[in-house]
Amino acid sequence: MDVTRRLFLTGSTLAVAAPALLRHGLAQSEPIKIGSLVPLSGGGGPYGPEKVQAHKAVVDLVNKQGGVLGRQVVLISENSETNPEAAVRAARKMIDADRVSAIIGTWASSVTLGIMPLCQEANVVQIFTGSSDTLPNGDKKGLCFNLQPLNKAWSVALADLAAKRGELKIAFAGPKNDFAASMGESFSKALEKVGGKIVGEPLYYNPNQVSYRAEAERLINSGAPALFLAGYVTDLTPVYRELVRGGYQGKVFALSFAVGPQFKQAVGTAANGILHGSPVPPVGKDTYDAYLDLVGLKPNGQVQNPYGCAAYDEINLLLLGIASARSTEGPRIAEHIMKVANGPGARVTTFAQGAKLLAEGKAINYDGASSSADFLPNGMLKSRDFALYEIEGDKDVLLTTTTSDAEQ
Amino acid sequence: MDAYLVAILTIAGIYVILALALNLQFGLTGLVNFGVVGFFGLGAYASGIATESFHAPFVGGLAVAMATGAVAGGLLALLCLRLSGDFLAIVTLGFAETVRLIFNNEDWLTGGPKGLLIMTRPVLADFGRTANAWMVLGVVLAGVAVTLALMLRLAGTPYGRVLRAIREDELVPATLGKNVFVYRLQSFVIGSMLMAAAGSLYAHYVQTITPDNFTTPVAILVWMSVIVGGPGNMRGAVVGALAVVTIYEGSRFLTPWLGFLDAEQVSALRFIVIGTVLILVIRFRPEGLLPEPRHTPVMPATRRPALKG
Repeated sequence: MDVTRRLFLTGSTLAVAAPALLRHGLAQSEPIKIGSLVPLSGGGGPYGPEKVQAHKAVVDLVNKQGGVLGRQVVLISENSETNPEAAVRAARKMIDADRVSAIIGTWASSVTLGIMPLCQEANVVQIFTGSSDTLPNGDKKGLCFNLQPLNKAWSVALADLAAKRGELKIAFAGPKNDFAASMGESFSKALEKVGGKIVGEPLYYNPNQVSYRAEAERLINSGAPALFLAGYVTDLTPVYRELVRGGYQGKVFALSFAVGPQFKQAVGTAANGILHGSPVPPVGKDTYDAYLDLVGLKPNGQVQNPYGCAAYDEINLLLLGIASARSTEGPRIAEHIMKVANGPGARVTTFAQGAKLLAEGKAINYDGASSSADFLPNGMLKSRDFALYEIEGDKDVLLTTTTSDAEQ
Repeated sequence: MDAYLVAILTIAGIYVILALALNLQFGLTGLVNFGVVGFFGLGAYASGIATESFHAPFVGGLAVAMATGAVAGGLLALLCLRLSGDFLAIVTLGFAETVRLIFNNEDWLTGGPKGLLIMTRPVLADFGRTANAWMVLGVVLAGVAVTLALMLRLAGTPYGRVLRAIREDELVPATLGKNVFVYRLQSFVIGSMLMAAAGSLYAHYVQTITPDNFTTPVAILVWMSVIVGGPGNMRGAVVGALAVVTIYEGSRFLTPWLGFLDAEQVSALRFIVIGTVLILVIRFRPEGLLPEPRHTPVMPATRRPALKG
C-alpha cells in the first residue's frame, strides 16, 4: 500500500487526537484511582503482601457499598521492590498514565523519599509507614501522612528500657541505610537524656556482606557491656551468630521485626535474653479486631500483621478525606485528611460510618486499627503504642507497653 | 497517558545513550565492561554535587560528569585494560560495586543512603509540569542525537575499522603497527564519558539519586539492549534499548488482563519475558535484530574449485 500524503495526514491527526477524544468521553463518570505501591520483594518483601491485601479488602468493601461520592474506586497496585529506582518508575506510571490522586503503602523510607519530588510536583497525596527522621523535610505542600512513629520515638522507648535495666553504656551497630543511620543518631540522644552514653563510634556495616566477623570482633573489642543492633533479620542473624561465636556476654537490644520466628529458628537458644521493641497495633481494640476480621484473621491476643493494620488506616483515611473534600485534587484531599483524622467530630472506625455522617454534614474523627491516627501539623503521627519484650525460651515475653509521644 | 509516554521516552533515551556507549566498548572493541552502572552513577553524582553543592548550572554539571567519567574510565583502563575478556569483566564489576559502596558510605559528599536531592533541572524556566517534562525530553533526545551521530561517524571511519580488527584478533592490527593498547584505552574512555553523561541526564531528570539507583540490574538491561539490538551496529543498539524499555515498561499495562496474577508475579513476569526474549534472540538470531553490516572482502576473480570427496 502506498502511503499518500492525505492518508498520512489523516492517520497521524487521528492518532494524535485519539487520547484527547477518549479522555473527553470518559471524564464524567471516571472512577477514582488510587495507587498502592508496596514492597513485594526486596528488604520489605515480608510486609508488602499484608499491606496490599488490606488496601484491596477496603476498596472491595467500599465499592460494594456504592463507592466514594457515587464513584467506584480503582486500586492500581505496583511493586516498589523496596528500591527507589524501581519505585520512581512505578510512581511515574501511576501519576502520568493512571492519573492517581494518591500513592499509599510505601514502606522503606528511601522509597517514600524517592517518589516524594514526583508526588509534590503532581500534587499527589502520600500516606505511608516509615520512620526515618528526615521524612517530613521533603514535604513542602503538606501532602504527606505517616502512620508509623519516627525513630526518635522508638529510641526514647528503648533507651528508657535500657536505663531501667541499668545498662547505660551501650555500643550501637546497624546496616548503612537511612533507617539505621537516623536510629543511631536519635538513640544516642535518647540515651544521653537518661544518663547513659554510647560506647565508641556507632558502627555502620554494609548489608549483604558475606561475613560479619570483623564487625563482631570490633563490637566485642569495644568492651561495651551492652549492644543495640538496629539491623533487619537478614543482617542481624549473621552479626548475632558471630557475636555468640566470639563469646560476647553482654545484653543485646534489637528491633522486634528483626528477631521474629526466622531469627529465633536460625540462632536457637542463643536468642534468650535479647530485649526488643517496636510499635504495635493496639491488641484487643475494636478497630484492630475489625481489621483482622476483614482480612480473614482471628484475634488471638498477639500482634498480627503489624503493617497490614496501618495499611487499613492508610486507605480508610484517604477515602474519608476524598469523601469529605468532595474532590480528588491532592491539596484538597490532604487538608481534609487532617480534619477527619484529628477531629473534632464523632468517632468513626470505618469508611461507611464516616461517609454517612459526612453526607449528613457532620464532622468526624477517624479512630484507626494501628493507632488513633492523629497527626502533627507536618503529617507525622502523634503517638502510637510501643511494646517492649524479652526473649525467653524462644518466646517473646511482654515487659511493658508504652504510648510513645512524638515531641516536636 | 501522553505525559507517561514522555516519561518513558525520556528513560528510553537515557538507556539508548548507555547502550550506544557500551556498543562502542563491547560491540566495536570487544571490551567486556560490566561496570556500566559504575560510570552511570559517577556521572549522576558528579553532576548532582556540582550543581547542588557548587551551584553550577546544568551544563556545568554535565561537563563535570563527563570529565569525571573520562578520568575514572582512563584510570580504570590503565589499571586493567591489559587484562582481557573475563578478567576485565570481573574488574569492572568490582569497580561498579566499589563506586556504589562509596556513594553509600561517604555521607559528607553524597548524602549517604539518604541520597542526593537535585533541584537543578535542564529546563529554561519553570513553565509547569507538562512543559518541563517535554523540555527534559528534548534535552535527552538532543543528547541521543549527538551520541548517535558521533558513534555512526566513529564506526564508519578507519578508526572504527581498527577497533573492529582489535575485537576480532588483536594480533593482526598490532602486526600492522597499530598501538592496540592506546586504541582500547581511547574506546574505553569515550564510552565511560558517555555513560557518565547519561548519568548526568538521569540525575537531573529523576531529581533524587540514592546508591540503590545504581545497582547491577541497570547494567544488565543495558547489556540486553546491546545483545538484542545487534552488537557492533549502532542503530541496532538504539533499537535494542527501545525494545528492552518497551518490554520492561509496557508489561505494566498487561496487569488488568492478568487478574489471576498479583503485582509481585507481574513484576517477576517482566523479567521472565525479557529473559525469554534474550534466549530466543541468542538462539535464533545471535547477530541481533539489526546485525552488524559485513564488510565483505573483494573476492579474487578466480576461485579454487571446491574439493569434492
